[in-house]
Amino acid sequence: MIFLLIIVFLPGVMAIQRFPKPEFESGYVVPVNQLPVQRGEILAWLDVAVLLIALSLVTYLVLKRRSRMGVFCISLFSIAYFGFYRQGCVCSIGAIQNVSMALFSGNYTVPLTVLAFFLTPLIFTLLFGRTFCAAVCPFGAFQDLIALKPLRMGAWLNAFLGIIPYLYLGLAILYAATATEFLICRYDPFVGIFRLNASFGMFLFVGLLMLTGVFIARPYCRFLCPYGVLLNWMSRFSWKHMNITPAECIQCRLCENACPYDAIEYPQVKKNPAGHRKQVNKMVVLILLLPIFIFGGVWTGGKIHRTLAGVNSRVRLAHILQPAHTTNNQPEIPEITAFRGSGITQQDLIREVTRIEHDFLIGSRIFGGFIGLVFGLTLIRLIITPYRTDYVPNKGTCFSCAKCMDYCPVVKD
Amino acid sequence: MKKLIPDIILIKFLRRMSMISGFFSLLFCALICITFLQLKRTDPLHTPVSTLLQEKLIQYPSSPNLIQEIRQIDLLARKAYFTSEWQIRTGSYLLLASLLILIICLKSIELITPRIPSIQVSEQGELWNMRKVQFRWVLIAGIALVSISLTLAFFTHRMLNGIPNEGNVPELFSRSRDSLQINPVAQSPAASIISDTSRNKLRSDSGKPGGDDEYPTQQEIRLNFPSFRGPDGNGIAFQKNTPVSWDGASGKNVLWKKEIPLPGYNSPILWNDRIFLSGSNENKREVYCLDAANGKILWSADLSKIKGSPSQNPKVTAETGFAASTLTTDGIRIYAIFANGDLSALDFNGGIIWTKNLGLPNNHYGHSSSLIMYHDLLIIQYDQSGSGKVMALAGRTGDKKWETSRNVKVSWSSPVLVNTGYRTELLLSAEPYVASYDPATGKELWKLDCISGEVGPSVAYANGKVFSVNEYSKLAAISLGSIPTLAWEDNEYLSDVPSPVAVKDLLFVVTSYGVVVCYDAITGKKHWFKELDKPVYSSPIIADGKIYILDKQGTMHIFQADKTLAMVAESSLGEGSVCTPAFGNGRIYLRGNRHLFCIKK
Repeated sequence: MIFLLIIVFLPGVMAIQRFPKPEFESGYVVPVNQLPVQRGEILAWLDVAVLLIALSLVTYLVLKRRSRMGVFCISLFSIAYFGFYRQGCVCSIGAIQNVSMALFSGNYTVPLTVLAFFLTPLIFTLLFGRTFCAAVCPFGAFQDLIALKPLRMGAWLNAFLGIIPYLYLGLAILYAATATEFLICRYDPFVGIFRLNASFGMFLFVGLLMLTGVFIARPYCRFLCPYGVLLNWMSRFSWKHMNITPAECIQCRLCENACPYDAIEYPQVKKNPAGHRKQVNKMVVLILLLPIFIFGGVWTGGKIHRTLAGVNSRVRLAHILQPAHTTNNQPEIPEITAFRGSGITQQDLIREVTRIEHDFLIGSRIFGGFIGLVFGLTLIRLIITPYRTDYVPNKGTCFSCAKCMDYCPVVKD
Repeated sequence: MKKLIPDIILIKFLRRMSMISGFFSLLFCALICITFLQLKRTDPLHTPVSTLLQEKLIQYPSSPNLIQEIRQIDLLARKAYFTSEWQIRTGSYLLLASLLILIICLKSIELITPRIPSIQVSEQGELWNMRKVQFRWVLIAGIALVSISLTLAFFTHRMLNGIPNEGNVPELFSRSRDSLQINPVAQSPAASIISDTSRNKLRSDSGKPGGDDEYPTQQEIRLNFPSFRGPDGNGIAFQKNTPVSWDGASGKNVLWKKEIPLPGYNSPILWNDRIFLSGSNENKREVYCLDAANGKILWSADLSKIKGSPSQNPKVTAETGFAASTLTTDGIRIYAIFANGDLSALDFNGGIIWTKNLGLPNNHYGHSSSLIMYHDLLIIQYDQSGSGKVMALAGRTGDKKWETSRNVKVSWSSPVLVNTGYRTELLLSAEPYVASYDPATGKELWKLDCISGEVGPSVAYANGKVFSVNEYSKLAAISLGSIPTLAWEDNEYLSDVPSPVAVKDLLFVVTSYGVVVCYDAITGKKHWFKELDKPVYSSPIIADGKIYILDKQGTMHIFQADKTLAMVAESSLGEGSVCTPAFGNGRIYLRGNRHLFCIKK
């Protein structure tokens, strides 16, 4: 322990402040980097290769070898390679934004390596379930590491918080598509750890998340990760998904509390006490209400588009330049000085802002409609009667981490 | 096989390790937070001690001990700041290390400790209850989401609602003036041009209660030509369809010409269908109102005998005369000033509203700074030998609203009003500086020493840069900001009379010896220049994408206001002129040495 401390402490003692950052009299704050230094293309393809190998290995370990230890070792490797070495970038989660921007913004081409980072886990998930989440995603792997005393969460909380990833996904796509912001990157709590470089606010958020992660396993994955939404959908239709039991389930119930993520679905043979007819009626009503939910979402999205557009820097600038917000004899803020020196007229700025707000109107409506659809489908899903005889992982929410496998006493012949 | 270390001892050891590392994690975390908060509070550039010493330095600027002390304290403050930053960084590494040890210990305990699965008593009916609860909470989440969204939309809608539509950029967005599209309107009576319902009235704050004037909006001002060099005195006209070809001698495209009774070098101003100018000799001072449609003199107001007018005439030269200052109007009253300091306000029917005398100017060429309006304030630049000042009088009553002394030499330039996108500034130029004032209060906003000599040209402004020029001095480009600075300067082509004009990223300078130069306003690089071979006293005006330059012989040289030299036309007035043109829609009003001309398309 002392030896470890010395090894860690000594470099710090020897560290020298060589090149302090320049001082800005205007109060300008140097932003925390959102992207690490660019690497050569061959190295970017190397990352893709490592991703592919890691995914293949994890898939093999989960589906064939059913080895939790193997998955754990891969997760350590992922934290080291994709986390600390690659500093969390490029990541598959953030790649959503690159792809959105490429699809909807006219002047951006997504690099093939980023596209590979986006598509490869999705393809693997479609084939083999969420093996990416099991050990390859450094964020998930990190959270897995700190899940020391996981507690079961109430179903109501799971349901309530379960809407957040959809919101996050929608907003991330909206802001990336309008070239406003890379939301996922800006509010990524893990890159601060991997890069040892975060604002104080983010530092506190990370601390809170880690503390939460000790008691609530994988909080980011379950209640924030926007990529998880896509993986959830892919995994539901996966060709081969991991099973708790290697053979037939014997309903021994030993795996009931095995999953810290509440992803195990219990057998359900009894009928709904409310009655089949009532259930069907409810379903019909919800299906009929679905277009209303979607339309309601579209309408709400249209109403909030200006609020959402307010994040855009050009819109914010136009807002700052309004007469109501300018005061004589106040020191000029850097944004106005920069704008004045840009050579762009206010007329041009207004024109640009009008176009941006129009894009946001369309995007917000689509976003609202999407949330309405998700809302409606979630309600419908909760009405549907499941019939199961075995203990099975929920294909959508199971992270294929193989933690539950050790609980199953069944041995394959 | 017997284990090297029994599990129980290992678990004990790991537990102790985890407690120690947990303790250190908390400690490092707390230290990082404390150091960060301390760092946030300190400003190494402005410590109390250094601020005190800097104030002392102002009193004793050349004290070497003081300078040395300031440097040392500054160095210590910076060292302390960067040491704190280093501490935070090192602390982060230590925190990470201790967390890593903690996690390894706890994970190891988890691996070693056998876990026995527990089976809870559960009923299959629980699923339906759980589903019910989930259904309810999803519903609540949906309602909450919609409510929060609509609430946010309601509150932010108010804040963001003020961003104007593309075609309706309000008055303070004056940087866009050069691309502002104004539909040409006929010069018909005021009531038919802009309906009352579309007016956005500015209330006078100098009027008596219950008798407020309704001042024109920026758009209304720009539909007219109410002061020297245009609406804000910046050399930009907003009219469209401006004529390019005429011949004064033959009358081609000359709608009318009218002899002006008394001479004067002031330029015409225009409001709706009325043109105003003044004339004066040693004994008489008059203001004329002409009908823009036919040049008929509708009225002339004799301002020769106003109260307080000095009995002696001011010293003037032949090139200035007694009526060199251009009038101004706010659409309600017309304001005129003469070389002897007589200042008058008249209504649109020629009735005298108020008069006063500002004192005989001590000006060896004769006072020639023109007037300009800012809302209901009449701004007067009154730089004389020995005492410079700028003042604002209430348009309605003539009462002085503010006066600001200027430590400048006598000048003949005129004030320019600009809206920088952040605030409106009143820009004046006289040796030794270009200065900016708040037109509402007269407070000096900034000044920059960059000009010398007998300053005749006014400044130009475009896109955050102010341009000043004077012969035997320099052409200076000042970048505005929290501290205006000199962006670039040039001294090859300098004007002593015509004012420069700027639009977007182009600056045009016309010298009095007849050279017109186009600069890149941002870098100062010359795009082109052209020798007109004729002297020019009139200031150039940019209108409808073209720059109009009237030489002393009465020839108008028209170029594209572009970075490529392209002459559009040369048209002759048939009479010499030193006055600056005024623009109406499809019209130009040119004052020659004897006549006022109206040129049509």
